[in-house]
Amino acid sequence: MSEVAKAAARPLMENAQSRRPLGLLLVAIPVFLMIWLVVWPAINAISRTIWRPDVDGNVGFDLSSYAFFFSDRYSLDNLAITLWTTLVCAILLLVICLPIALYLRFSRSRLSGYVQALAILPMFVPSIILAFAFIRVLGPNGMVDILFNAVGLPKIRTPYLTPWGPVIGLVWDNIPLTVLILLSGLGSVANQSIEAARDVGANALRVFRHIILPRISNSILVALSFSVLGIFSSFTLPYLLGPASPEMLGPFMQRTLREVQDPIGAMTQAVIAFGFCIVFGLFYVRSVARNQGK
Amino acid sequence: MSVLHIADVTKTFSGGTNAVDSFSLDVADGELVCLLGPSGSGKSTLLRMVGGFEQPNSGRITIDGEEVTHLPPERRPTGMVFQSHALWTHMNVFKNLAFGLKLRRMPAAQIREKVEAVLELVGLAGYGDRMTTQLSGGQQQRVALARSLVLEPKILLLDEPFASLDQHLRERLREEVRDIQQRLKITTLFVTHGQDEALSMADRIVVMANGKTEQIDRPDVVYRDPKTPFVAGFIGTMNLIEGEVSNGIFVRSALTVPLPIADGPATLAIRPEALDLSASDIPKASVHRVTDYGSHGLVDLDLADGTRVKSMVAHPDMLRAGQGVDLLPRAFAAYRNNQQIYRS
Ligand SMILES: Nc1ncnc2c1ncn2[C@@H]1O[C@H](COP(=O)(O)OP(=O)(O)OP(=O)(O)O)[C@@H](O)[C@H]1O
Ligand SMILES: [Mg+2]
Repeated sequence: MSEVAKAAARPLMENAQSRRPLGLLLVAIPVFLMIWLVVWPAINAISRTIWRPDVDGNVGFDLSSYAFFFSDRYSLDNLAITLWTTLVCAILLLVICLPIALYLRFSRSRLSGYVQALAILPMFVPSIILAFAFIRVLGPNGMVDILFNAVGLPKIRTPYLTPWGPVIGLVWDNIPLTVLILLSGLGSVANQSIEAARDVGANALRVFRHIILPRISNSILVALSFSVLGIFSSFTLPYLLGPASPEMLGPFMQRTLREVQDPIGAMTQAVIAFGFCIVFGLFYVRSVARNQGK
Repeated sequence: MSVLHIADVTKTFSGGTNAVDSFSLDVADGELVCLLGPSGSGKSTLLRMVGGFEQPNSGRITIDGEEVTHLPPERRPTGMVFQSHALWTHMNVFKNLAFGLKLRRMPAAQIREKVEAVLELVGLAGYGDRMTTQLSGGQQQRVALARSLVLEPKILLLDEPFASLDQHLRERLREEVRDIQQRLKITTLFVTHGQDEALSMADRIVVMANGKTEQIDRPDVVYRDPKTPFVAGFIGTMNLIEGEVSNGIFVRSALTVPLPIADGPATLAIRPEALDLSASDIPKASVHRVTDYGSHGLVDLDLADGTRVKSMVAHPDMLRAGQGVDLLPRAFAAYRNNQQIYRS
């Protein structure tokens, strides 16, 4: 490097150094909050479930609460129903939201404005209100029952208090976010690149499969992991709409803590839920990284 | 023999704009036709109707005698090169080219052979493994061209393919496209709003305005003999002077030109290179500005009423601003009611 170039480079570097404290401060605040509010309680919970006093009061390494969870039929059923609900919701969300997002992106009709408003509406409806609306419409002697009765049809088998209750509520609740994320992904697909595909002979299905899907696979991952994480640890809707047994981990934890008064048990359930969410998170990070590497 | 036949095609968009209005055109086998017109004249809309991306409200389009008016793009023997953003960025160059061939279930070995041949043709041999995002703008448009050519379409459609490129690259690609087109003898419709592009490439030029044809002719004819005042003003530089004809003399301010047509209003069209200047005791115009381009000079002149006219002269150094001169038109045409009624 010549002398001139060195001299020219110097102010830039000084500048970068003088900005460093401010940058660090900006990063430090969220990092601190995260450690205080997320990492520390997590470590605390994990350590309190594995370092426990035994009958004599000696604190030691003890996995018995985990052993109990994984040997208890009821706990395992609750875990299974939670995973099942999450999986079914994820599939339904994809099946429902992808067509809506595709319609909103590619329709030229004026109807699409109303469809968008309808799809986004659940975002502004609190889950409690959603749950009561659900009960009034689909519950026993709800609106559907009354309408069916009026035209002489038999009573429906209501999904209220069955595993399908939370599924319907959670899917409805998660439609807006999923549609919006998919829509933003579809926004990056240029019209001309789709027209070019049709030009070389691809029909609508092939355009979707070979041109659109590869471009929005990241958005699908983001949308699904957002909703999966939310659904896995959801509380209100499963509590209000779901069956009493088996129950999803959210209500299960709450009941273990308040009614059974077993804080260690509840904490163990929380740590296990946390573990599953971390696995989802890692899976998401890995897929995104792999997609970007392509 | 005409390959592409467009008969009386009209397209009205929902807003009520007549983007294309009763348009007809026949394109012969192997011909390159340029659609030339100002922004919004309906060039892209027409091209997109040939490609199948828009449906005409009325009229017929046939390719090789087969009606395609309402076929979707994937079932037409056309290949379109878009202005930009049309490459599939998640595929490399090879896959971009191979996609259409794969849809036609061609064996892999044959695909490879064809793709390599076409890459060679557009000067991108060995670029197959590149991602499209790693190419320059010019290379990207060559890939787009190759992607259409590899399917051997009956008609190649190009919608301002070089508009986003710089002047030099544009000129080079223009020549390359013309060479390739002549080598493959592929029937081509080329949309542009650059007249030099149209004049240098086309076998025939279609000048469009407001969705209608103004003139269809060879480039030299369009330049030398514009049939409407719009074409006269749009192609090249032209002095369009409005005036009155009485007793066979055209009059505008001090300018008088013998014009053997019936009395009434008329528009006189004179190219700058056909307007000579001479020194005179009774000047008809005064020199406003002289621009010396070395090889020639361009003189802006004002008639007494302020009308600005241009003249091209060989020796600009002999003229001064403010000087009075006489105007001597060597060749001119006259228009009335948007029709040419006289040509000298
Ligand atoms: N999808 C559309 N909906 C409504 N109007 C449209 C649509 N596409 C084009 N138009 C209108 O049709 C007319 C012709 O448009 P077109 O794109 O064909 O012009 P163009 O000659 O290609 O212009 P440019 O040189 O700017 O590309 C314009 O007035 C335009 O506003
Ligand atoms: Mg256009």
